[in-house]
Amino acid sequence: MRMDTVIMGGGLSGLACGISLAKRGKRVTIVASGQSTMFFNGGSMELLGCVNGKTIENPLEAIASLPESHPYHKVGVDRIASIAERVKLLFSDSGIDMTGSANANHWRITPMGIAKPAWLTLNDHLRIDDLNQLPAKRLALMCIRGYFDQPNSMLAQGLRNLGFEVDMIEFTTDDITALRRSPSEMRATSLAKHLVSNNALQRIADQFNNLAGNADMVLMPSVFGQSDSSDFQTLQARTNKPLRLVATLPPSVAGMRMMKQLRHYFKMLGGTYLMGDTALSGTFDGDRLTSITTAKLADMPLKADNFVLATGSFISRGLKADFERVYEPILGVDVDADADPEQWTRFGVLQPQAYFGYGVATDNQLRCLKQGKPIQNLRAIGSVLSGHDAVKMGDGTGVSLLTAIAAADQIRENK
Amino acid sequence: MVTSDIYKKEYDVIIVGGGATGAGAARDCALRGLSVLLVERNDYSTGATGRNHGLMHSGARYAVTDSESASECISENMILRRIARHCVEETDGLFITLPEDDLQYQQTFVEACKHAGIRADIIDPQEAHSIEPAVNPKLIGAVRVPDASIDPFRLTVANLLDARMHGAETLNYHEVEGLIINQNRVEGVKLLNKRNGEHVEVHSRVVVNAAGIWGQRIAQQAGVNISMFPARGALLIFGHRVNNMVINRCRKPANADILVPDDTVCVIGTTSDRIPIETVDDMRVTREEVDILLKEGVKIAPSLATTRIIRAYAGVRPLVASDDDPSGRSISRGIVCLDHAKRDGLEGLITITGGKMMTYRLMGEIATNAVCAKLGNTAPCVTANQPLPGSEPDAPDQRDATKRYSFGQRAAIGRHGSLAARIEKDNDIDNALVCECEGVTVGEIKYAVHQLHVHNLVNLRRRTRVGMGTCQGKLCSCRAASLMGEFNGNVKAAQEDLAAFLDERWKGMRPVAWGDTLREAQLTSMIYEGLCGLDMAVNMEGKEDVQ
Amino acid sequence: MAERMQTCNLSENNFEQCTKCSICTTVCPVAAVTTDYPGPKQAGPDGERYRLKDPAYFDKALKLCLNCKRCEVACPSGVHIADIIQQARMRASEGKRASLRDTMLANTDLLGTVANLVAPVANTTLGLSPTKLVMHSVMAIDKHRTFPAYSRQKFTTWFKRHAAKEQDAYRQHVSYFHGCYVNYNFPKLGQDLVKILNAIGYGVHLLDKEQCCGVALIANGLYKQAKRQARTNIDNIRTSMNRDHRVVLTTSSSCTFNMRDEYPSMLGIDNADVRDNINLATRFIYNLVDEEKIKLIFKQNYKRRLAYHTACHMQRMGWQLYSIELLRMIPGLDLIELEQECCGISGTYGFKKENYERSQAIGSILFKSIEEAQVEAVTTDCETCKWQIEMSTGLPVENPISVLADALDVEATRRANGVF
Repeated sequence: MRMDTVIMGGGLSGLACGISLAKRGKRVTIVASGQSTMFFNGGSMELLGCVNGKTIENPLEAIASLPESHPYHKVGVDRIASIAERVKLLFSDSGIDMTGSANANHWRITPMGIAKPAWLTLNDHLRIDDLNQLPAKRLALMCIRGYFDQPNSMLAQGLRNLGFEVDMIEFTTDDITALRRSPSEMRATSLAKHLVSNNALQRIADQFNNLAGNADMVLMPSVFGQSDSSDFQTLQARTNKPLRLVATLPPSVAGMRMMKQLRHYFKMLGGTYLMGDTALSGTFDGDRLTSITTAKLADMPLKADNFVLATGSFISRGLKADFERVYEPILGVDVDADADPEQWTRFGVLQPQAYFGYGVATDNQLRCLKQGKPIQNLRAIGSVLSGHDAVKMGDGTGVSLLTAIAAADQIRENK
Repeated sequence: MVTSDIYKKEYDVIIVGGGATGAGAARDCALRGLSVLLVERNDYSTGATGRNHGLMHSGARYAVTDSESASECISENMILRRIARHCVEETDGLFITLPEDDLQYQQTFVEACKHAGIRADIIDPQEAHSIEPAVNPKLIGAVRVPDASIDPFRLTVANLLDARMHGAETLNYHEVEGLIINQNRVEGVKLLNKRNGEHVEVHSRVVVNAAGIWGQRIAQQAGVNISMFPARGALLIFGHRVNNMVINRCRKPANADILVPDDTVCVIGTTSDRIPIETVDDMRVTREEVDILLKEGVKIAPSLATTRIIRAYAGVRPLVASDDDPSGRSISRGIVCLDHAKRDGLEGLITITGGKMMTYRLMGEIATNAVCAKLGNTAPCVTANQPLPGSEPDAPDQRDATKRYSFGQRAAIGRHGSLAARIEKDNDIDNALVCECEGVTVGEIKYAVHQLHVHNLVNLRRRTRVGMGTCQGKLCSCRAASLMGEFNGNVKAAQEDLAAFLDERWKGMRPVAWGDTLREAQLTSMIYEGLCGLDMAVNMEGKEDVQ
Repeated sequence: MAERMQTCNLSENNFEQCTKCSICTTVCPVAAVTTDYPGPKQAGPDGERYRLKDPAYFDKALKLCLNCKRCEVACPSGVHIADIIQQARMRASEGKRASLRDTMLANTDLLGTVANLVAPVANTTLGLSPTKLVMHSVMAIDKHRTFPAYSRQKFTTWFKRHAAKEQDAYRQHVSYFHGCYVNYNFPKLGQDLVKILNAIGYGVHLLDKEQCCGVALIANGLYKQAKRQARTNIDNIRTSMNRDHRVVLTTSSSCTFNMRDEYPSMLGIDNADVRDNINLATRFIYNLVDEEKIKLIFKQNYKRRLAYHTACHMQRMGWQLYSIELLRMIPGLDLIELEQECCGISGTYGFKKENYERSQAIGSILFKSIEEAQVEAVTTDCETCKWQIEMSTGLPVENPISVLADALDVEATRRANGVF
């Protein structure tokens, strides 16, 4: 089977790259080894949140002074602004409504009530543009009875620390009570599946209208909208105060929804998405990758002009570590990682951990290196790249999206 | 009783140390009618009690080298099967001979077992492999013995509960800063309440030093000298059981020669290194130790080579030098009970040390006998006959398939025996799972927090297994912290506690952080730091490890 | 460190690799409609740790699992969650007898043989309300269910009478594992396949002996019988491969998946030497076109709008790509690829009274999306999905092979491939 481009990895970066290429009429296949880390996303994208412990206000400005090894340098610092704009377009084309600016971070509110810098946030989620000008004075924090993936008191305390007045209000409806009969399956995503009918949403809106008192905004965990934002809009229409969502612990409804929307858009553009298949190995011809073999297509290798490695970090199995070494498991391309396992980690769970910065080595065109030499038609994007610590720097989704589009451009330009 | 009232009372006996030995002594003293206070500087069972294999020895391991210990073990083994049913799993054990071992030793071993009164049946190696498929199929000999698996956390808590039911008071997070000594007589202890920084003095007629390896320090505070020789042992926990019987090597005791099924996991250990007494509080495991444990472990059960290790931990055996040889060359593994009046001319202080977790009850009995002798109490010891709370004869059986127990309820019965009846389960919310790996419900957490002296998440883990599954608290610790914060009303403390808990989990994961354990750690960081921003909410710098 | 130690933590079913991320819970169609089922995470890896400790921790609710494998497809760690659940069910069922109802439903070929003999009577009888009521109350087969109609003539009978003779004349040859559905209920699908394969120059042959693949036997806990039949099938497939040098094609995604993947994982039948030779017809044909070994010529002015439903087991195999790409070769065919959702039938699961409502609730998302697609018919590779979708939406459902056969200009194709 022959494609223009085969992308290994169906997460945020793989899909963004696939969409960019498919939009230009390319035949693209994405091999996705299961669902992605977007299921742990909080409804926001981050470009750059923090450098050396310092909170970043203007990511575009700060990106220029990042070390050369940072993936943003491979995107091209002068191109970041325009690519960032294209990401916004890509989202809106996919039906994802987000707001934000690349030269001024806003604040997203974490499940623990902490304000973290963000670039884009879903419009139905609470975001704060200026900590001195809160979007509401008094919040009714609606806590779902029996739902434990929202640390309500931490969230309330965090919001109070930011200057909100917060009323914590516990509520439930028949639908929610019925779901709690399951000892294990009351997750954000299962609530989102159950709370879809007009009646179920009306019952929730009734509770809000009865209980929210004199608050001027209703805040509630992000448990609506498994496929799009229409459930939220229905609920908002029936609630007599402005309504905002706040991220929960995983699995994330917002992340699940965004992935669905991106996947849908990609397929609409004619892309092929192989969910649940895994790239196993590749065949090289000199400095080119000619085909890859997957677990399920087995004897029918996928051939393409270009390949993209978007397989993610350790958690997504894009990188592997055994007792002795860190390696890239599919193609055996070079990795940037400490040889001594003692250096991979350190005691102190909240300390920076070196392994977060590990990843495949690339040239300045994002081309993977194999034994030091670039593979001409193989690019790496997203979390599989070395040179940044997504958790400490708050740049994970930004790197995924920007490198994805940069790689798509490079693939096109090299033709 | 509120804590300040506890301080005011004068006791017959104060027991220093909340491990199995201290808890066993407290129970015994209380059952004999003495008024008792037990103080523990950290949480209960944080020392050697909670840092071993969880193996209920048949005594076979010591049969050849130390027949006195072996006899003690088998006798206590039989007692614990009766009195601590809910802490014990009757797995039986195998002593296997591998091609590299001397099969001659098997004969010596079996004879020694017989001599010590331990049932030891030589079985066909093939049969051994069929009853325990995890065992190395290359084995050339096998002996079946009545080893079993025991949960030291549960055991300690059950003893403390029984002591309390009989009038004893127990305080965790109370460190002994000094002893109250008046004219060559110990009359109580000076305590630091580590939770609020308060210093207090509490009086008693006798003090029992049951502080394990830290007992040397307590003795020093009394001006007497005990020479301890700390022997450090590291162990590895695997993500699930590969074996359902204890597997030992049939040879002289050496590194990593026992694999024990413990609840949902299995544990290989131990290494053995003499360490300086100053380092006994550093329990971090090194890469070299992991290497030794793995190399030896796969000889016992080859599948360990490909089974995920979820964490590593280490403990320190409190070995004591004999009084006639302070150099430490002749070390006893047996029980040592010192009456410092006879030994050092200091009245009112008894040290109970040496021994094993497995013989805690006997140690408690010996110490209590010494206390009673001083106080003129003649009540007999009944701890060998009276079941511990949770092990009453009418305890429900979680294996009873005819009952409609939920997963969480079955797991809770397995952990708390008949005390599981105290766990609320009449509404859906109490039945909701907090820890999905280990089946811990909201009701069980409420029970632990309200009745089992839980102050933080690590305490909660020891009482319930929250966070002890393969994800090491990734999903449940936030849920549990949030619940605890609601019970205590202190949100800031709940976040710090959460960070401390994750840090404690990481301490055990880091030495084995490769493969899926590294993936698990990365996901935990992505959730708690990336998604939640916990690192921005708490400052871990300079925090003392008081878990 | 000794070589290979801890280089990968792999035990059976990749159980080790579960990070408890809970993504599997978001795709489970059963947990989505009932709180009685604890979901794939709890039923699978979480419960397994306890079952390894003591088999008594087995939870009866596991029988609610559809074995649709959607959890496995979603799992980012490659854990065979559904296999863990099915194997636990299998261990728990040892020594227990299946009910009469389950035995009857599971023995699709036995039921089929009898029904074919008396097809008009059987179709009427199975369709009559009194019969349905008896089945509903006595047999616990839900009264809402329409049994698939039985054909008067078995596929094999037709084949032997009308097709077998001429097959040797072709240059190349394949064997066809027709399965129970084609044989008893819908011989036309088999005839369509013969038509297409003949047109591209392939002779079609039956196996020396074929038994029901046993997918329903496994689902209903009749493991011993399933094993016996699996051995027979694999032996005959092996003969086809070694003696006749013929690959074995199927037109059912469930039979294919069962024989390729469930035989080794559920029944412990070693099929490693023949697995690659069990192929789905659409995949086989697509590959021939892709490698430019054959040409397909389609009818002019052909116009249809169809929706493709990816059956769960098709998705688990990852082969929907081939059926879709093959159908997309048909000019004038407007093909809508539906978002993958379970139809809820899962073989015999939805036939049982206790599962009926759940089964329909599971399928409702799919039915809604079919309705919205505004198509004249649905196409899918699985026959039980066909029954469910036809019953629930009223739209006809066809196998991609039948769609292809319908659109194919047979004479032109024969000529283009040099077949006379």
